[in-house]
Amino acid sequence: MPKSSEPIFQVEHLSLAYPGRRGQPPAQILSDISVTVARGAALILVGPSGSGKSSLLRCLNRLEEPTAGGVRFDGRPITELDPRELRRRAALVLQTPVLFEGTVRENLMVHAPGVTLDASEARLCEMLGEVGLEPTLLDRDSTMLSGGEKQRVTIARALLRDPQALLLDEPTSALDPPNATLVVETICRLRDRRGLSIVAVTHAPELVRRLGGALLYLVKGHVQTYERLQAGSVMNERLQAFLAGTHP
Amino acid sequence: MTILDLSWWQLALALLLVVVVAVISLRQRLGLERDLVVGTVRTIVQLYLVGLILAAVFNAARWYWVLLILVVMAAVATHAAVARLAKPIPGVYWIAAAALTISTAATLAYVIGVVVRPAPWWEPQYVIPIAGMILGNSMTSAALAGDRLQADLFTRRDEIEARLALGFSGREAVQPLVRAALRAAMIPTVNGMMTVGVVQLPGMMTGQILAGASPLTAIRYQIVVVFMLAVATALGSLLFVRLAVGRYLTPAHQLRRYLL
Repeated sequence: MPKSSEPIFQVEHLSLAYPGRRGQPPAQILSDISVTVARGAALILVGPSGSGKSSLLRCLNRLEEPTAGGVRFDGRPITELDPRELRRRAALVLQTPVLFEGTVRENLMVHAPGVTLDASEARLCEMLGEVGLEPTLLDRDSTMLSGGEKQRVTIARALLRDPQALLLDEPTSALDPPNATLVVETICRLRDRRGLSIVAVTHAPELVRRLGGALLYLVKGHVQTYERLQAGSVMNERLQAFLAGTHP
Repeated sequence: MTILDLSWWQLALALLLVVVVAVISLRQRLGLERDLVVGTVRTIVQLYLVGLILAAVFNAARWYWVLLILVVMAAVATHAAVARLAKPIPGVYWIAAAALTISTAATLAYVIGVVVRPAPWWEPQYVIPIAGMILGNSMTSAALAGDRLQADLFTRRDEIEARLALGFSGREAVQPLVRAALRAAMIPTVNGMMTVGVVQLPGMMTGQILAGASPLTAIRYQIVVVFMLAVATALGSLLFVRLAVGRYLTPAHQLRRYLL
């Protein structure tokens, strides 16, 4: 049995490459990444576009298969877990929220055939409450929601599966500032209340500052900087510049 | 009833129709003259070659010659079904070959062995044209379904991964796309059944009537053909899509994004 002091994620010498097309060399996406995320802690992934941060996130719930090295979840190599179970326990929230046709209720209750999900009325309302949405939204058509509401519904949908970790892929970048703030607050509140571990790809300084934890700066698939953020600590200049958008 | 045999000079008169098309193309500056000449020559040469080969096979009256013709037809249909795919799918030739061969063999076996029952069963006069129609429809439906599937896999990739991230299996996550591809492939055939004979007379029926068959005999064959082509369409696209979508998924329920 894994001990509870075990980190939630251990990434060990992970590399990822895509096979080349028609005689072209493989495209190297990630090279020799090692990082751990303690239970209940946060890891922020930053880097220019194409640096592999989303790919690293997707390796954590095994939407991508590393070409070398691997990932442990809760002490066990993820290749030993059923990917479907892993993905329920480490829930992914995408940059552009994906809602299916139908009402908010139908979207919350979406589940694979043969899987049981506790989706009582009370629980659905509770989940909406946790992300700061009104229960009256349940029967609203999902296409009628604002971007921020959609994103919070996808977070509520993930919560319904009782995840241990949230994987966030630029959760606020498609939102306007007021909605982005609401989503940031939702994420931070959930983390405090549920003790969720969080791995987030984000360029939102507000989210970085409030989540704290560790920060991994990727460039072209390599770790450029890895540092622990402490309350009030001064981030290294390059990272500050990067987050401020003034990085070359 | 008699069949009027067309003479060479009658064919030459028909060629005048193409001259009309050429004049239109020149006057309207459509730039189609070159393609029109090539197309005309190919029509004549290809159909003559086919006619010579079919005449030889009909005369030889051996089952293995019939089988060889069917294999060549299936190979050409396989190539045509995959030739227009926007992006390569690994192993797509084998997938198309399997889908077309199985759907055609199953449909043909039922139509020849149970419905029409010519003697001998490999009678080329029946087997070759019927197999040709089945293959043609399977091919078109596989290509339509493949095209739609490929386009949807790309545009709906986030939706697929959202389902995977919610704990769906790979097959479950792509099921709505499979359904959309099958519908796209089958709708033209089902719609065609609504208007068959009303909007235009089907080619085979027209041919039989021209060749001297009674319209009542011709429509019976046409009814069989319509039903036969419906099942060929369904089977061809179903097999192709089921096999092809598997190439985009891994046993660990992942979407192979680099193929999109």
